[in-house]
Amino acid sequence: MMQTERLFRQFIPVLIWVILAIVLVVVMLLASWVLRPHVLQNSEKTSTYECGEEPIGPARVSYPYNYFIYTVLFVVVDVMGAFLWILTASDILWVGSAKYSVILQVALFVLLVMGGIWYVMKKLPEAALDGKETLEIYRKAKAEREKEQHHMGGH
Amino acid sequence: MVPLSWYLVLAFMLIGLGGYGMMVKRNLIRILIGAEIMGNGVNIAIIAMSLYSPVFTFTGQGLIILVISVAAAHTALAMVLMLVYNRRYDTVDLGHPVVKEES
Amino acid sequence: MQYTDWFLSIFEPVEFLLVAAIVLVLAYLALEHKEIVYAAFFFGFMASFVAAIFLLLEAPFVAGMQIAVYTGGITALIIFAVLLLPRAQDSSLELFATPRKRQLGFLIAALVMILSGLLAFIFPWAESFDDAVVTISNNLNDLAMWLWSYNGVYVQLIALIMVTSMVGAVALLKMDKAEQLSEIRGEFGIEAKPDFEEAEPSSNEEVADEDSEEGDD
Repeated sequence: MMQTERLFRQFIPVLIWVILAIVLVVVMLLASWVLRPHVLQNSEKTSTYECGEEPIGPARVSYPYNYFIYTVLFVVVDVMGAFLWILTASDILWVGSAKYSVILQVALFVLLVMGGIWYVMKKLPEAALDGKETLEIYRKAKAEREKEQHHMGGH
Repeated sequence: MVPLSWYLVLAFMLIGLGGYGMMVKRNLIRILIGAEIMGNGVNIAIIAMSLYSPVFTFTGQGLIILVISVAAAHTALAMVLMLVYNRRYDTVDLGHPVVKEES
Repeated sequence: MQYTDWFLSIFEPVEFLLVAAIVLVLAYLALEHKEIVYAAFFFGFMASFVAAIFLLLEAPFVAGMQIAVYTGGITALIIFAVLLLPRAQDSSLELFATPRKRQLGFLIAALVMILSGLLAFIFPWAESFDDAVVTISNNLNDLAMWLWSYNGVYVQLIALIMVTSMVGAVALLKMDKAEQLSEIRGEFGIEAKPDFEEAEPSSNEEVADEDSEEGDD
């Protein structure tokens, strides 16, 4: 006996919508290809328009690495949001006998992740990554060198 | 009802494709994409197994939720390691890299 | 009525075959496309279609999480990393394996695929997905209870893993800044040349050079 209601049958409208989207894109591209005039394409026509200026250099430049930190933070918050999403999709937070322990777990989870983000953004650059050690080593070497020079100069 | 072996064949084909990418490619980003494809295949296999098992539990789905989060974490770390590699060797291709001269 | 039943019985295999073919083609394109940015985009599309497979497997929340994390997070991460690496975007600079190595790798992968596929077909799986006996549940309450109440320790472990990887990532990214000598240069001026073995009497030209280099950094 077949189970009457499988999940993918509820998604048949989504499938129809996807097919419509693909058909729409293909038809629009084909129509524009058919309707547009096919003139000669040369380098002057295909080059980037920069207000009449000659384009200089490639368009792909490298961004500073520092912005990658925010992408990593985004992924972490994304996963945290996905874990909290299942709470909104169910009712275990306010129904049932386990709600208090679940609330405790959720609070601990959010606290851990947010504490980690706070540590990364505030504490870590001050504590470990401020270049103090390099500075110390350099100062020591400089003092030694000055001492040596002073010694040699004394003779 | 689609039999279980269909899903498993799809999962094995994804794992094989990812393994091919990891074996052959020399670009670190492509190697990472191959690893992610392998991970997707494994996820499909585990979900299918948990659905077709004689006793239905939520262990498979919960496991896959945890696995997806760990995949996000390790991808972030791998990407940063790749940036460090690029900074040191001035390329993201494996092979015989030359250490970039300090300017 | 008969016609509808027939349609619904044929619908699932057809949908599975369609989605599986799309997933395989997109995975192949994600590996083999010349431009690495397009490869990353194809990987994102592949992850979305794997979510459709999860919907076929009665796992709606896993499908949503696949889209949220794989398509939204990991693909964004890969694309952003590619944007940060201008050398990686230039496909003419990319090193490709020799054709012999490629054929060898393809042979090994095909062997693994065929053997494991044969095993999957031959092996007597307990095809016990009998709807009369097994009650599938896609009730999200049970999944939430499994995840948050029965196995809450795992969720805390996931939080710890994510925080650890995030701290490692940010430390690696900022390590360069910590080792940069710009602060020393600011404090000691020109003397902060890396080779302080030879204390040359610096002329004005060198000062100018140092200053311009600092400006470049």
